[in-house]
Amino acid sequence: MAELLAPTLPGRARMRHSAPAAVSALALIAMIGVCSTLQPGVLSVQGLTLVLSATVPLVIAAQAQMTLMAVGDIDLGIGAFVGLVTVVTATKLSSSPLVGGLVLLGLVAAYALLGLLIHLRRVPSLIATLGASFVWLGLGLFLLPTPGGSTPEWLAAFGAWQPAGFPAPLLPILLVTALVHLLASRGSAGVRMRALGSNPVALGRAGLRPLTSRVIAYATAGGLGVVSGLALASQTGGGDVSSASSYTLMTVAAVILGGGSFSGGVAVPWGAAVGGVTLGLVSVVLSLLDVRSDLQSAVQGGIVLAVLAGRVLVGKVLR
Amino acid sequence: MNLRVTRSRPWIWGFAAAALIWLVILAISGQGGGQTLSLALSLAPYLVIVGLGQMLVVTAGPGNIDVSVAPVISLAGFASVAVSAGTGSALAGVLAGIGVGLVVAVVSTVAILGLAIPPIIATLAAGLVASSVTLHLAGGFTAVPDPGLRELLNLRPLGVPALAVAIAALTWLTVVLLRRTVYGRSLIAVGQNRRAAERAGVPVSRVIATAYLLSGALAGLTGALLATYIAPSADLGTRYLLDSVAVVVIGGTLISGGRAVPVGVWGAALFFILLDGLVNLVGWSTAAQNLLKGGLVLFVLFLAGGGDRARSTAPRLRRRPRPAAATTTTTGDNSDG
Amino acid sequence: MHVDNLPAPPGTERDRAARPPVVTARGVTKAYGRTRALAGVDLQVRAGEVLGLVGHNGAGKSTLMRVLAGLESCDAGAVLVHGEEAPAGSAAAFGTVRMAYQETSLCPDLTVAENMWISSRHCLPRLGWRRAASTSVRRRLDEVFPGHGVTPRDRVEDLSLAQRQMVEIVRACLVDRLDLLILDEPTESLGPDAARTLYAYVRRLAEAGTAVLLISHRIREVLSAADRVVVLRDGAVTADRAAAGMTEPDVLTLMGAHVAVPSERTGTAHAATGDGTGARVVAELRDARGGGLHGVSLRIAAGEVVGLAGLAGQGQQEVLERLWRPARRDTEVSVTRAYVPGDRQRSGLLPLWNVGDNLVVTAMRGIARRGLRRIADERDVVRHWVERLAVKGGADAGITELSGGNQQKVVVARAFASTAGLVLLDDPFRGVDVHTKTELYRLIREEAAKGRSIVWYSSENAEMAHCDRVHVFRAGRTVAELAGEEISEERIIAVSFAESDEPDVPKEPGESGAPDRAAHGRTHG
Repeated sequence: MAELLAPTLPGRARMRHSAPAAVSALALIAMIGVCSTLQPGVLSVQGLTLVLSATVPLVIAAQAQMTLMAVGDIDLGIGAFVGLVTVVTATKLSSSPLVGGLVLLGLVAAYALLGLLIHLRRVPSLIATLGASFVWLGLGLFLLPTPGGSTPEWLAAFGAWQPAGFPAPLLPILLVTALVHLLASRGSAGVRMRALGSNPVALGRAGLRPLTSRVIAYATAGGLGVVSGLALASQTGGGDVSSASSYTLMTVAAVILGGGSFSGGVAVPWGAAVGGVTLGLVSVVLSLLDVRSDLQSAVQGGIVLAVLAGRVLVGKVLR
Repeated sequence: MNLRVTRSRPWIWGFAAAALIWLVILAISGQGGGQTLSLALSLAPYLVIVGLGQMLVVTAGPGNIDVSVAPVISLAGFASVAVSAGTGSALAGVLAGIGVGLVVAVVSTVAILGLAIPPIIATLAAGLVASSVTLHLAGGFTAVPDPGLRELLNLRPLGVPALAVAIAALTWLTVVLLRRTVYGRSLIAVGQNRRAAERAGVPVSRVIATAYLLSGALAGLTGALLATYIAPSADLGTRYLLDSVAVVVIGGTLISGGRAVPVGVWGAALFFILLDGLVNLVGWSTAAQNLLKGGLVLFVLFLAGGGDRARSTAPRLRRRPRPAAATTTTTGDNSDG
Repeated sequence: MHVDNLPAPPGTERDRAARPPVVTARGVTKAYGRTRALAGVDLQVRAGEVLGLVGHNGAGKSTLMRVLAGLESCDAGAVLVHGEEAPAGSAAAFGTVRMAYQETSLCPDLTVAENMWISSRHCLPRLGWRRAASTSVRRRLDEVFPGHGVTPRDRVEDLSLAQRQMVEIVRACLVDRLDLLILDEPTESLGPDAARTLYAYVRRLAEAGTAVLLISHRIREVLSAADRVVVLRDGAVTADRAAAGMTEPDVLTLMGAHVAVPSERTGTAHAATGDGTGARVVAELRDARGGGLHGVSLRIAAGEVVGLAGLAGQGQQEVLERLWRPARRDTEVSVTRAYVPGDRQRSGLLPLWNVGDNLVVTAMRGIARRGLRRIADERDVVRHWVERLAVKGGADAGITELSGGNQQKVVVARAFASTAGLVLLDDPFRGVDVHTKTELYRLIREEAAKGRSIVWYSSENAEMAHCDRVHVFRAGRTVAELAGEEISEERIIAVSFAESDEPDVPKEPGESGAPDRAAHGRTHG
């Protein structure tokens, strides 16, 4: 029995699981450090508010992506979906809160339906969500052909809220991440979702329906997408269906940065938040460094590849 | 084998749908049907080229997809027009477009095979880099496409666009590639069961890399031709991301890999082009076009499904996870038409 | 959560028979497609008894268990729980029947406690379930496997194979009320100490009134732990005896199916190749180390059949891997290779293709000219092999429509149809019927006589009789090299288990009672 008592376990294994998030947390600190040397004002409450506010909707969308990646799926429509939500917010929600609210609920239901169909028809989520992204885009253009509209006052007020003492954007980031943590990492719904991504056979043997897990995950992702869209609209003050199109890649990258995996089974809400803030800060740093705007997407693409390559290396070292 | 080919023709649905839309257009507009068809045939080839590339990638198995086609088309458009204007040779321009596609594909392929990055992320990131370069080129771009090549692309002897004939030949070559060459058979084997193909002596990495390179080259070719036909612009390729995936799915290619249907790409491409025509004719907005297209892709996808119902009744002693289970249709040859 | 809550009449041998049956199978039949897995099984599992279930590969053990656990419905007959007919899948009826699976049914990415929630959520509180699950799993692990080294917060993927098995067994035990516990090869990856404490726990469970159904191919273990032994053969119960007084050979005789196929090895083939000194060496491993190997040297001559024997997982597959992809300097292969995988579902079949396409995919490369296939020549090859191995259904049948034996014929033919000079066999005849096996053994000898070399890993020692030389592996080393008349099942077993107290023997593949296991291969039935 002696060989069983010598577990190679805790240290190395735990390190392997938390290493990616730690690496991106370091990247985050480095990024803030760079920002503050370039622009000392960044470290003030006002500066942090300015820098962080752009990352709020991205972090929330990254939580949505993380939920789907926990069941082993991937969402290529989240960018268009968030854009659609901003459009609904700037049109329906401001003209008639009740109708707007119902439309947003309907969008969440549509996500759940998408998950249901993906499961029942055994269709790859990759392509189904890609197709759905065009439906979201079409709906958004239908409601608002050109960017415009105005967000409801209460939402705009929230976007402009500047409490003394702490940067306001931290509040929604921490709140949503904590909620997702409770749901996906601590709660039983999270266990169901991650079990689906990890070993669907075990789920079935225990008498739990994989379908339910997938639908829960998609509904959660839809709900978080709506919150992300509301956050984005509160900042831009209007609706634009293509305002969040870069989120699709960015959210996936944020989850991977935070320690998530493509094969599913793990939920990393805090990691996704750190990854999202890090990626959001990249564009701030780039603009502080006077990098031309047309090079920004190249730099982002390069960073994503570099980070993933780095993870492969870290994984090999820790094995 | 032959019996089964005749029994299931997955490509027929795209053509049937195209014919249906054509009839609707005929009924609404009352114009000559030949003209509509001729126009569709001159627009469809661009979609077919990029679709064929996407089809090869999708055939390589679950998870394989090339989402860099859209930025590659835009970039290749600028590159080829610039080169052809600079050298005065249309051929050099087209080759430059193909070269651009290959370069981007090399980046994705290295990331996929060398760094084990999932194809979707690798091609997305490579595409981002490409679109940055496109934006860089687009600023102050003045060169005009080669007039000779443009004339060639517009050539329609007897109402049949020359390009359509050329691309039909390319499609036939793809069929030959898939059926008669060692590479094509290897690709289909890898798509069905990667591990089994590896144990059967198929050089899996090389086969997959070649599929991505071919897709990149074909997307580059599309960009070169399209930029000459219309004009280079930064969003020249935007619509081709979903469209290329859609024509592959609607054309009958198995989305989980292992069965490619090149001819189906034609039917689906014609269907899409005619659908665009119909939407324009009725006067619908781009919103409706997007809705219709996205809805159609989802409809076909959910209708076809990824797995066979028969699997649930098959022996379940050794159950496999979902993605693997999706590769079990037993009917149909793997390179119909 | 407490088994102690059960009504626990202390049992003696005599009144055990009088106890009420927990689960009864009445004339259960079950077929998968053309394969008949169960052909009318009658079985009673009574409260407070340990029932051992033994049988060969494909005897129907797994199917029977799944039916008894309510996971699978039967085609005819009925399953009764506490005397009442229970429809399959009914959580109410089968709630007190629990099963520990051989390939564990745990989620690798989840923690031990979270895995407990998945299977035992009905007996956990809605709030604070994590703490409750942690407490009970820790307590139960301490009880069954003292010194297990598992904490509830560990992720399953970070546990060793033995620890996972422990967690799986404990997972099955964690319920409010346990009437029947089914253990499927529970000691497969456990060390001897853990196996001993497990059987002690099983006895305690039985004394407390729980019925335990024990499936194992380690017959000595079954005989020592069980009250009653049931032998399953070809989907039917062939014997149902008290375990007391039975010996291992008795059980083996009852299982019957151990057909020793006469060796096809001929003196001439043997003389031609000898021990590999005379003929040309086609492949060589020189003191190969790393990746699970600790200094393996072997030479393979042209026309030789070299066996790799020993318990499963001692480095044989690593040797095949080295020969298949010779990347390191210590491996030298001078001929082309072909590979016959054992797990044909996962790494053998190309499911969308027919028999002919599947068969010729490797040979295609050799036949083709400048990348272009030569279809007529391919057809000739396919026809030749389909006839030679009598593949049912012919070249045009879909590969998935074939029976397992015929599928395996195709996978074997795929390798031999190529021009490869060295064919690697990765335990390819597991779960293949005796008739097909005999044909394939003959094929191997014929091909070797034509000058091909074959390296053959098998978990069935009886098969090794068809080899010219056999290397017996233990812990990544060759512990013996047998040749000619020396090759016998007994000899291989003896060598495999010699000096078993050597410290570096890995714990995973069985140690206690393992000779039976080695003699009868891996029973995945």
